Amino acid sequence: MHRTVLIIGAGLTACSSVNILSVKSESISVTDEFQKVSVVDSIVYPYRIALEEEMFEVIATTENNFTKSRPNGSLNNWAADAILNSVDKTTFGLTPYFCLLNLGGLRSPLNKGNIVLGDVYKLMPFDNEIVVVELPFSSLDKIAQYLTSSGGEPISNAVLDLNHIDLKRAVDDYSSFYVVTSDYLMNGGDNMGFFQENVGVIYTNILMRDAMISEAKKQGVLVFNNEKRIILE
Amino acid sequence: MKRIDFIRNSVLISSGVLVAPSLIAQGERVNLKNRLTILHTNDTHSNIDPFPENHHKYPGKGGVARRYELIQQVRAEEENVLLLDAGDIFQGTPYFNKYGGILEMKLMTALGYDAATMGNHDFDGGMEGFVKARMSADFPFLCSNYEFKHTPIDGYTGDYTIIKKGNIKVGVFGVGIELKGLVPDNKFGESVYLDPIEIANDKALELRNQGCDLVICLSHLGYEYHKDKVSDRILARKTKNIHLIIGGHTHTFLDKPTEEKNLDDQTVLINQVGWAGINVGRVDFNFEKNVFVKNDVLIVE
Repeated sequence: MHRTVLIIGAGLTACSSVNILSVKSESISVTDEFQKVSVVDSIVYPYRIALEEEMFEVIATTENNFTKSRPNGSLNNWAADAILNSVDKTTFGLTPYFCLLNLGGLRSPLNKGNIVLGDVYKLMPFDNEIVVVELPFSSLDKIAQYLTSSGGEPISNAVLDLNHIDLKRAVDDYSSFYVVTSDYLMNGGDNMGFFQENVGVIYTNILMRDAMISEAKKQGVLVFNNEKRIILE
Repeated sequence: MKRIDFIRNSVLISSGVLVAPSLIAQGERVNLKNRLTILHTNDTHSNIDPFPENHHKYPGKGGVARRYELIQQVRAEEENVLLLDAGDIFQGTPYFNKYGGILEMKLMTALGYDAATMGNHDFDGGMEGFVKARMSADFPFLCSNYEFKHTPIDGYTGDYTIIKKGNIKVGVFGVGIELKGLVPDNKFGESVYLDPIEIANDKALELRNQGCDLVICLSHLGYEYHKDKVSDRILARKTKNIHLIIGGHTHTFLDKPTEEKNLDDQTVLINQVGWAGINVGRVDFNFEKNVFVKNDVLIVE
């Protein structure tokens, strides 16, 4: 942790009468060793109180527990549907084919009863942005392979049916198609290498969490959908 | 907190230059006036409260109130303390989503930051969002390689600053990462990205010509990459006149500064302390007037 480096007369004399003699460093861990009431608490207090109040705001209710699981789960479906719905066709001038997320990105279930804002922050603590990725049609097989080997990821408006992706909408162009996902996955997260083959990316400027919040508010009572979208055998 | 004791059991690494023992011994009698303590953070990401006790990785760590107390303790012991941040102050907790960074700026001002640079996430609220939050900060943002002329940020950042601490004149400037592809286009608009290496060389030379004893670069380039992408390590090797690079972006936890050789074959230190305000970096420089004029003799403990 502790280290001394002596830089003696490190060429400083040309412009200065002061020389650096030695250097010493440490990385100090910020722990409760330093806990003390201070001016900082009084600055933070009103913000913290208002924030806590907001985090307890009820934004929707649910009659079911939404949980994530492989290959399918009610939370998987809800999240992927919410993200797909948030990409407005008129704003972006295109209709995405489907939405693909990663199960690992869903960090907490939504439990039966009231859904407060803080629940969505727990579900989606990351500030990932929704992106629309244009992929060549040849990528479809790689997506199918990925889903087969991972054992399933949240998907909306498409079904993995035994190593094959069934699209739920008509194909207008056999050269490329649009998938809604997160900037994290598009940038190589969770080894979804097929996103590297993209021929174009649209940044929506919408955070995944914000999309989930607006979708929950819109639904009022969260839409429970337990259908099987990943069929492995 | 441990007191820092200087130069114990020194091992001499020298490039054919004799160092008088008396010179080494002098280190133990360093005059506080001739010592500069740099405290630094990076990528604090709106982490104002400590992590919860059930946090999977950093239970109960961090927190701005504790950082304040830590800094105050150092200030009580040292005469010359500089407090610096290498960017990505914003984004990471609901405090940012809800208040747009105003609280972060108020707190950094209360902690007495001397300067910061902008990270890519500091554009997350857009340029107007940054300016709005910036109004609550009374320390400079140093962004030497972003040209903001035709943007709302114009006039709200600086190129460099010179701070006189005791007998020591310190020059600080800042370099940021290429925003294209990392930040949505509409959030940085007409900002022009300038080559960080070229700019760093220019600014460092200018600061040395203005008589700075120490030149510090605040960098949000990132510590190191597998590809040739410019990083702090590359910046250190390809520049001169910089003594210390305080880095960020890659959330790299360094226990001690990395040593690189610059274009003049002199040592540059690079330090970075992870993220979220879990750690505060401390680098102490001891200065001595006209002691020894030889190049690059290192004594590493």
